[in-house]
Amino acid sequence: MTATRRNLLKFAGGGAAGALLTPAPWRLITDTALWSENWPGIPRPARGEIRERFTHCTLCPAGCAVRARCVSGQPVSLAGVKPHPLSNGGLCPWGIAGHHLPYHPARLRKGQAQEAMAAAARAIAEGASGEYAAVLDLRPGRTASWTHRRAMAALGNGLYLVPRQPAYSIDLAAARTVVSFGAPLFDGWGTPGNVFGARAHFRLIQIEPVETRTAALADMWLPIRPGTEAAIAAAIAGDLSVADAARLTGIEEEAIGAVWEAAQIGSTVVLAPEPGSPLMSLNERLGALGHTVVARREAPVPDAWKAAAPATEVVAAPDGAIRLLLIDESLPGGYVPWSVIEPKLAANATVIVFSSTAAGYARHAQYTLPAPVYPEAAEDIGPAIDTVAAVFRIAAPLGAPAVPVVNPAEFVAQIAGLPRGDALRERADSIHKTGRGRLLSYRDRMSTLTRELTAEDFWRTLNQGGCWLEEGGQKMAPPGLGAPPAGPAPHGDLPLAVVIVESNRGGLASPLMSKLERESSLRMAANRVVLSPADAQSGGIEDGGRCVLETACGGMDAWATIDPGVPAGVVEVAGGPRMADLCGSSFRARVVRA
Amino acid sequence: MSGGKIAFASGTLLALAGGWLAFPRVLYQTRLQPVDFSHKIHADKAGAKCEDCHAFRDDGTYAGIPTLDKCSGCHAAAMGTSAAEKNFMDQYVTPNREPQWLSYAQQPENVYFSHVSHVKLGRVKCERCHGNEEAGTSLRPYQRDPISGYSRDIWGRPVTRVGLRTEGGMKMDDCVDCHRRQGLEYSCLGCHK
Repeated sequence: MTATRRNLLKFAGGGAAGALLTPAPWRLITDTALWSENWPGIPRPARGEIRERFTHCTLCPAGCAVRARCVSGQPVSLAGVKPHPLSNGGLCPWGIAGHHLPYHPARLRKGQAQEAMAAAARAIAEGASGEYAAVLDLRPGRTASWTHRRAMAALGNGLYLVPRQPAYSIDLAAARTVVSFGAPLFDGWGTPGNVFGARAHFRLIQIEPVETRTAALADMWLPIRPGTEAAIAAAIAGDLSVADAARLTGIEEEAIGAVWEAAQIGSTVVLAPEPGSPLMSLNERLGALGHTVVARREAPVPDAWKAAAPATEVVAAPDGAIRLLLIDESLPGGYVPWSVIEPKLAANATVIVFSSTAAGYARHAQYTLPAPVYPEAAEDIGPAIDTVAAVFRIAAPLGAPAVPVVNPAEFVAQIAGLPRGDALRERADSIHKTGRGRLLSYRDRMSTLTRELTAEDFWRTLNQGGCWLEEGGQKMAPPGLGAPPAGPAPHGDLPLAVVIVESNRGGLASPLMSKLERESSLRMAANRVVLSPADAQSGGIEDGGRCVLETACGGMDAWATIDPGVPAGVVEVAGGPRMADLCGSSFRARVVRA
Repeated sequence: MSGGKIAFASGTLLALAGGWLAFPRVLYQTRLQPVDFSHKIHADKAGAKCEDCHAFRDDGTYAGIPTLDKCSGCHAAAMGTSAAEKNFMDQYVTPNREPQWLSYAQQPENVYFSHVSHVKLGRVKCERCHGNEEAGTSLRPYQRDPISGYSRDIWGRPVTRVGLRTEGGMKMDDCVDCHRRQGLEYSCLGCHK
């Protein structure tokens, strides 16, 4: 046999054929697959001592109690704490997956803290007379909020800005009829465990144009014409005849009559999706104030803090006067459209944002500093919309921050020259000093009167998973809820009412939630709009096609879905910062073909 | 036979020999255990049972390979004159240094295996999966597949699958086979959480 090129190729061919008859290639394929599962960076389950720890969720104002299973000090699963007077053992899907957030791929991992501090100091020093430094706090009511307020008071020309906040709490346990004008009662409105715990005791009438998840679970759903909520409200108040309301809203007279009758029985509460909605004034007409709608209660604070700057709504701030704006977006909360904030800024304003994501106000800031995410930071949580008691609970951190972070309250306090201190501890001591209320300890399920505890025990229990509550006492009526709703505003050439069917609280959500929800289309993505066949046809829009959602504030490229279940005149969208910026104060739009 | 056919046959035979004989030998890295431990001596002379050292914790979790504390309970001082024990005393007990045992049975991270449910509830004998370790006078070398990172005991033993035992072993096929015969084969998620 001669060594020719042909023989060499045949030898190689024979070798390849023979190799296929051995386990080697097949084994190498499976081994390589396993090897690819073990690349560096792939997270591995923790091993080690298994412990139970308690904290509170800060992902929304509900502040549900959380039991964390920790392996080797790392939280590996979260669950609710049962029994619990506020969260009732409940924890929403976002809360259950909250321990994933420190490792979120979209998390902000670095920021120019030194440069931001220098820019803030420069803006304060160079600020002209009549110009302000301001903090916009998206989650007011926390101890960190009090630090912001104290810092702004210390600056002299400081403003403490907040989104529109409810001055009331809703006592669902006292309600027998709930009339909801599109409030997402079962989809992120209040404390999930409390809402579902009270559900058996009230009748829910949901009034909104589309069948949201809450509407699907309501005892009665009134699919009104978009923008005619005021007519129903007027009919319930007795200011409009049932016949006229039926004509305006497209709802049968019998159904409106049934709502009217249910509302007159007593123990009724009217809910609106926005805290400042004029629809809330209907509660006054129905005698709900001081009964099912009560004044919001806050945990005591040290006397020295009471000289802090007052809370001012962003819309009330002077135009063109804010030289330095610090936005605390570290916790998801209310969102103020940028179109409302921008006119308040001076021409050469400095904007610094504390956030865990680049999706919110970071788009408009010169400096974005990475903030801690749940469950990394020690924070307290103010009362939720459905918390009637005064409450103080601490979200004890379950681990050290996964990236270098900047604490917004410490940063603001440093700018204002406030003395360093542990504000949470100071507040806990001031609560303990009052001797009021009781302290729940999750670890041993004990409820102890505050006056029977030492200050040290009180503080330790709060940090190990505990909740101070002051219940009972006379229910107070909240301040006035504003004027009754006016009729629908003219909408010019924006024919569609924007209905937010997907409440997005902002901030990060677990990648697991994205996987389950977005990719499976169980929940609507931020760049998708849903139209009725009639509206789609008139705009020349195809199902699954590209389109542009245009509002008075701008436009957004989106994908269109055509759904016969959507009434004409409505475009369904997902909420969130981007949509809030796009809609501003008017939820009207048109959808055109891209 | 033509030269081309010979070349093809030679290539085939060489590949078959390499794949069946040489590949299993070169695939695995072999490492020795830190201590020349004899299960047989401990079982025969000390009368130890498996669970005396490989115990369950109070919460039901399995402690696995005993730590030095457990060994020192008996070997605070040398109990015999063997070189292996002297080495163990000098290297680990005296300096209080934990031996870095190499676990033959360590399952991948994606496997959930509960010893307590198999041993206590299922009454499965240790040797059913681990083999008759009790009879071993010394610990066999630990063999590791460097590509997958897994022990040979849990991943492909033997690689040729010739002479594979129908009972015992700690590979997925062994688990599936036993569960199938017990009528306990429910779903992938039984073990892969």
